Amino acid sequence: MGNNELVLDGGSLPVTDTATGKRYFVRLNRAERLQHMIFAACFIVLVITGFMLKVPDRVVLYFGQFGETVFSYRSLLHRTAGVVMILVCVYHVYYLIFKAAGRRWLIDMLPRPKDLWDMRDNFLYFIHVKKEPPEFDRFCYKHKIEYGALIAGTTIVSVTGLILWSQSEWSKFVVDIATLVHGMEAILACLAIMIWHFYEVLFKPHKSPLDDTWLTGVIDEEEMKEEYALHQKES
Amino acid sequence: MKLNALRAGMVFTSAVFICLLAVGISHGSDAVADTGNCLLCHRYPSIGRYDEEGTKRVFYVNDKKFAASVHGKLACKNCHVGLDKIPHTDVKKVDCATKCHLKEPSTNQEFSHANMVEKFNASVHGRGSAENPKPFAEDLPTCKYCHDNRMYNPFQGMWGSSEALSNETLARCIGCHTKEDWAKNFYSHFTHRMRQRRTHAEVVKLCTSCHEDSEKMARHGVESIETFKDTFHWNLVRYGVKNAPDCISCHVPLGYSTHDIRPREDPVSPLHIFNRIKTCSNQGGMQVCHPGATAQFAGGRVHAYGTKAQMLVGNRISDYQGVETARLLKRAEADISPEDLFHFTVLKIIKIVYKILIGGTILFMGFHQWLDFLAAKRKQKQLKG
Repeated sequence: MGNNELVLDGGSLPVTDTATGKRYFVRLNRAERLQHMIFAACFIVLVITGFMLKVPDRVVLYFGQFGETVFSYRSLLHRTAGVVMILVCVYHVYYLIFKAAGRRWLIDMLPRPKDLWDMRDNFLYFIHVKKEPPEFDRFCYKHKIEYGALIAGTTIVSVTGLILWSQSEWSKFVVDIATLVHGMEAILACLAIMIWHFYEVLFKPHKSPLDDTWLTGVIDEEEMKEEYALHQKES
Repeated sequence: MKLNALRAGMVFTSAVFICLLAVGISHGSDAVADTGNCLLCHRYPSIGRYDEEGTKRVFYVNDKKFAASVHGKLACKNCHVGLDKIPHTDVKKVDCATKCHLKEPSTNQEFSHANMVEKFNASVHGRGSAENPKPFAEDLPTCKYCHDNRMYNPFQGMWGSSEALSNETLARCIGCHTKEDWAKNFYSHFTHRMRQRRTHAEVVKLCTSCHEDSEKMARHGVESIETFKDTFHWNLVRYGVKNAPDCISCHVPLGYSTHDIRPREDPVSPLHIFNRIKTCSNQGGMQVCHPGATAQFAGGRVHAYGTKAQMLVGNRISDYQGVETARLLKRAEADISPEDLFHFTVLKIIKIVYKILIGGTILFMGFHQWLDFLAAKRKQKQLKG
């Protein structure tokens, strides 16, 4: 495989591995993979350093005399990861508006009535009423739900996080709301990622143990046909 | 005949005992001036008895430790009044307001903690006056509940953390103040005040030893300390952050006394709304808290909303007995303003909405993925078949 496809825009045209002759489809280009990687790293850091405030006292006791050092790095890492995550989001907005691949991503990600029918048909397929699942386009309803949740969740935790960071500027009531929402949203985001996203990329039978699209950016023709049949037909 | 022999024996034993007391046998240690010869008996670690309630009382005194303590220069009888009879049947409980015959150097008057005791009695922890005693006084702390007879330890401060620091500094003092014992005591007394006696976690532990008892607190119209453990402040404390705010950081900031904690509606309380900015910003204090605190920020509630707010909206009354319910409700109406109650309600609604959102989302997602998993497995089987 050459390097050309790494900068392609996630279109439906396949790229061919010159060595094996196998055809691949780009799901995530280099910029998108990089955004995902940085965002994922920030998310993991934020979850660990954030929930350190919620762990039981007996867990904190393990840190012993290093508690203060651990806490100061916790605070620093949480804020740093938060800022980096916000910057990634800002870049993503820029990417969606000013890059051709971004604009295409945005258009493909917009919800359509078909998504609702797809979800209904998929449930019918799950319960044996339909023999085949619906044919999905580049992004199916599952991606759109997750992307929508990510936009909403990131906006909420970012805004509330910035309020908490500048707490002296706000009334205590606003700070209390921000604290509550920040924590609850974090629980929601973690559970959603674990149940929705991790299942799709780690635990789903034919994806297990790991869907490597986030690293390679591509899926093979068989997988494309299986999961994004409608998108493939566009080619 | 036998009776006479017994009497003679008792007289002899008593005579020896009295002689020993009169001569004032030295214990063999110069650690403490045992002018009352108390160590004759109290040096034995096994000395003690079980009181009427069955509690073991130990009367052993380690003279070296006592000499190195904050009260090490005092004679036993300065505090323990009524020790003249043996056994001590007429001994009185220690009263910290007693004049202990030491001269307080700034006034040259006899020293006593009477001023502290007076402040304490007027504070939230005091038992009130004889005319107006507080109900459930047995719940309230005495001096000894918080104060044990602390040891003077080598000073550990910002310039070092070893005993060598004390040795070197003290050596400089002794250059002029040649009476070593005096210099050491003066130095210890001075440096004792320069360090925090308890860690932040120890302060919280001491306060929670009473304030965590929700029933006891309810009898006095106070909420349990659980409302503090729900704050970011507590996180700083439990991680051992030196700049952490413990109970006294806010309830007794710079310029206030732990013995004089007042209700927050009292204008002299640091928690009174007019004093809040000063308390939160802690200007001039060692701790860096919220130097830029505004009235809007400082005016808010620090502890999480607890039982009182819950009671006002009709919950948790059944958790308490009649007396507690009445007192808590009475205080709740005074402490929780309509604005506070609105805030509490808004926070409660947000929490409920999020719980429903989280529950609903996770149920939907879990159900969807479970069906997806079954379908994927089914397909795998079909392909293999």
